[in-house]
Amino acid sequence: MKKNLFLALCLCAIYIGFTACENKSKDDTPPMIDDASFLPADCDIYYIGDTIQVHFVCSDDTELGNYNIEIHNNFDHHTHSTSASDCGHEGEHHDEEDTEHDHEHTTAEGAWVYNQDFPIARGLKGDTVDVNIPVPVEATDGDYHFMLRLTDRAGWQTIKAVAIHLHEQGE
Amino acid sequence: MNLLTITCAVLLSIPASVETDTTDLQIEEVTVTAPHRHVSYIVSQSSVEVDADYVTTQMQGSLAKSLESIAGVQASSIGSGLSRPAIRGLGFNRLAIIHDGIRHEGQQWGDDHGLEIDQFAIDNIEIIKGASALLYGSDAVGGAILLSSKSKSSICEEKSISGSTHIFARSNNTLIGVSTQVEGTRKSLHSTSSPHTFYWRLNATYQDYGDYSVPTDSFEYYSYRIPLYKRTLRNTAGREADGSLMLGYNTRHWHTCLRVYETWSQSGFFANAHGLEVRLSDIDYDHSQRDIDLPKQSVNHLKMLWHTAYIHDNWGMEVDAAWQHNLRREESEPVSHGYMPTPPNSMERQFSKHTATINASARWNVAAKHTLRFGLQSEMQHNRRSGWGFIIPDFEQYSVGVYAGEEWRVNSRWTLNAGVRYDFFHTHIHAYNDWYLTPIGNTAIYQERSASLARHFHSFTWSAGVRYTHRGWTFKANIGKAFRTPIAKELGADGINYHIFRYEAGNSALNPEQSYQADLSLAWENDFVRVQADPFVGYFPNYIYLSPTPDYREGLQLYRYTQAQVIRAGAEAILTFRPWRHLDISVQGEYLFARQLSGDKKGYGLPFSPPWRLMPEVKFHWGKESKINNSKSKTIGKGFAAINVRVCGAQRDIVPPEKPTDGWWTLNLSAGQRFVLRTCLLSITLKADNILNTKYYDHTSYYRLIDIPEAGWNLSAMVGVEF
Repeated sequence: MKKNLFLALCLCAIYIGFTACENKSKDDTPPMIDDASFLPADCDIYYIGDTIQVHFVCSDDTELGNYNIEIHNNFDHHTHSTSASDCGHEGEHHDEEDTEHDHEHTTAEGAWVYNQDFPIARGLKGDTVDVNIPVPVEATDGDYHFMLRLTDRAGWQTIKAVAIHLHEQGE
Repeated sequence: MNLLTITCAVLLSIPASVETDTTDLQIEEVTVTAPHRHVSYIVSQSSVEVDADYVTTQMQGSLAKSLESIAGVQASSIGSGLSRPAIRGLGFNRLAIIHDGIRHEGQQWGDDHGLEIDQFAIDNIEIIKGASALLYGSDAVGGAILLSSKSKSSICEEKSISGSTHIFARSNNTLIGVSTQVEGTRKSLHSTSSPHTFYWRLNATYQDYGDYSVPTDSFEYYSYRIPLYKRTLRNTAGREADGSLMLGYNTRHWHTCLRVYETWSQSGFFANAHGLEVRLSDIDYDHSQRDIDLPKQSVNHLKMLWHTAYIHDNWGMEVDAAWQHNLRREESEPVSHGYMPTPPNSMERQFSKHTATINASARWNVAAKHTLRFGLQSEMQHNRRSGWGFIIPDFEQYSVGVYAGEEWRVNSRWTLNAGVRYDFFHTHIHAYNDWYLTPIGNTAIYQERSASLARHFHSFTWSAGVRYTHRGWTFKANIGKAFRTPIAKELGADGINYHIFRYEAGNSALNPEQSYQADLSLAWENDFVRVQADPFVGYFPNYIYLSPTPDYREGLQLYRYTQAQVIRAGAEAILTFRPWRHLDISVQGEYLFARQLSGDKKGYGLPFSPPWRLMPEVKFHWGKESKINNSKSKTIGKGFAAINVRVCGAQRDIVPPEKPTDGWWTLNLSAGQRFVLRTCLLSITLKADNILNTKYYDHTSYYRLIDIPEAGWNLSAMVGVEF
């Protein structure tokens, strides 16, 4: 019993020792994306064959991680949107165009998918990012979601999503 | 002497020490007055025991939630009908659930899986805090919850058939349920020198609940405002049906028993944020609050157990054999993601897992003060998956463990125990490739998500402890090593978890997680006061942790399984004061601290760490008096009325992607009365939870990550008839 008590006390001492020299400055906050300067803006319209100019300013109190840009169709009207706005494009599809059109899109496998991971240089607390994403000529028109995911070095993530619309040239 | 030896046999039976119904019956036959037994034989471990009355008077929708009012036990709820237990913050597969002597399979696979046990079919629950690997093998790192069913022969010993029915309702999720038990015994009239008894029991439970309500009209997630219709969480309704059968036969030295349990449940996941991402759907969720739309899960769990024991004065043997089948379906609306086209159906994931278990144990009283125990435990698992989502690969897993332990009853005050155990594991994980093509350069491939993998693991564990009891004092100290083997998901996952929208990468190089823990338990009681304190400290050299990385893979944040040193410490304390024979004033409290000491999350705590809690209660009871003892929280006497407050601290010690959670308190009332009606016993229990309708967040709740508050006020009622 004395031996057990002794072991328990040893473990307690180790634990106090560890907590005493523990680094208290752990990162507890996710990175930030500046909303005001963010491009594309919510509900922006692009023409097929154009280039989407992405621009954002991000920061973190400790160190930025990486980011990912994803553009996927929103023909089936799910949303991951972080913005509360309804651009009305979805409504147009739903109400004015018939369900046949809708169905065609939902099953269309040719919808444009863009998904790219980007590194941020190590050691940065702030960064301004500009990326040009050409919309391929074979892209199907319609509602899309533009999503930016940003991490910091500790593994916190911030998501920014906006709705965009792709038009046929000359539409 | 006979009483003593048989009582010892009960105390010492391993590991199916939980499997005591037959033993109890035998005691009643032989001795008529059987003292209440301890379920676990390791007397140096800190443990809490509660009975069926405790569970029924808690009136919670699921078993783990019912156990939450015990200091040191936490429940992570998944909506209103499912919950997972944790002991001192360790849950999932760091906790062994032992049901009638057999390790229960079910809750340890994911964040949103419940326990899959009918809480009304349980007669006795013992919670063992601290490393319990010696008896229960892998997973019993945080402790073990021993669930046992036994024949309730105390109510009507003279009758050959007895039973009970409970009807219960909850206002918050408009739950209605019924549970019925019928049991009987038949004794052979001839050969009184060696009586034979045949006994049986049937149990059936059904409950149906609607969407649960929260004290808010809307909530915000990722700056997206989600309005709630009638303050209820869309699509959190569910239903559950359980049935069980028990058949047993006893003679003076032999008993054998067959049990079959079937649990079926279906429940919806909150529709607007399945996983972490906000979703809109064309489904009209608001047209009914009782229907279950997509996304949803359905669970079928079939378990068959067979137990046989031979108990003699100086030795005994037991054999348990069991087969379990977990069938789990998770359905959600098919949505294309990345290169995955829209799937053809809603079957996101299906698991079909078979588990076969054979355990054998023996006890030998080598001398008056020494008892030796030996045991062998073996298990085989076979898992097959289907559906368009991938997390857990197909696998087969075999394990065998042997242990030996000794108990030395030095004198009437001191007892020492110690034991060693060896385990061998073999896991074979199958390869899995995507069902859709991913373009890589100029070609497109079916990407491999899980590589074929075969691993062996060995583990050597031990435990030693001491117990001292004298004049109201009880002192226990235990130190032990526990372990768990990495599960298939941790070794072989390599894909997107659509529930949480993250990319999870397994690590085929993981080693078995080790844990060293020292526990103390100090209690003192007299006729008026009972005080107990249970501090502990534990160390993991290689805690398996799913660490969020700054990297992306296939458009989602990469989470990778790593191993890190972790230290944990904490304590529970209970104070009960009885100033008057009809009044109990008690306070329970718990505190837990955890730190990662190495790896990329060095300095952080552990996910789902419960903050400190205090549970003061004032209970007025009348009728028969009972001994003051909090470790067996029985419904006292004929009636009671109680008021209790739950105070929970803030949790700021978080790890990504958790959010800091503010502290909260809720006020709760309960009352109950029993009446004797001819030959029946009628009981009525009422309970009001969170009567101030406080809006609060539970840091350990599944929906915490998406900012959904806990349930608002709730009124429960139950009427029971025992016949």
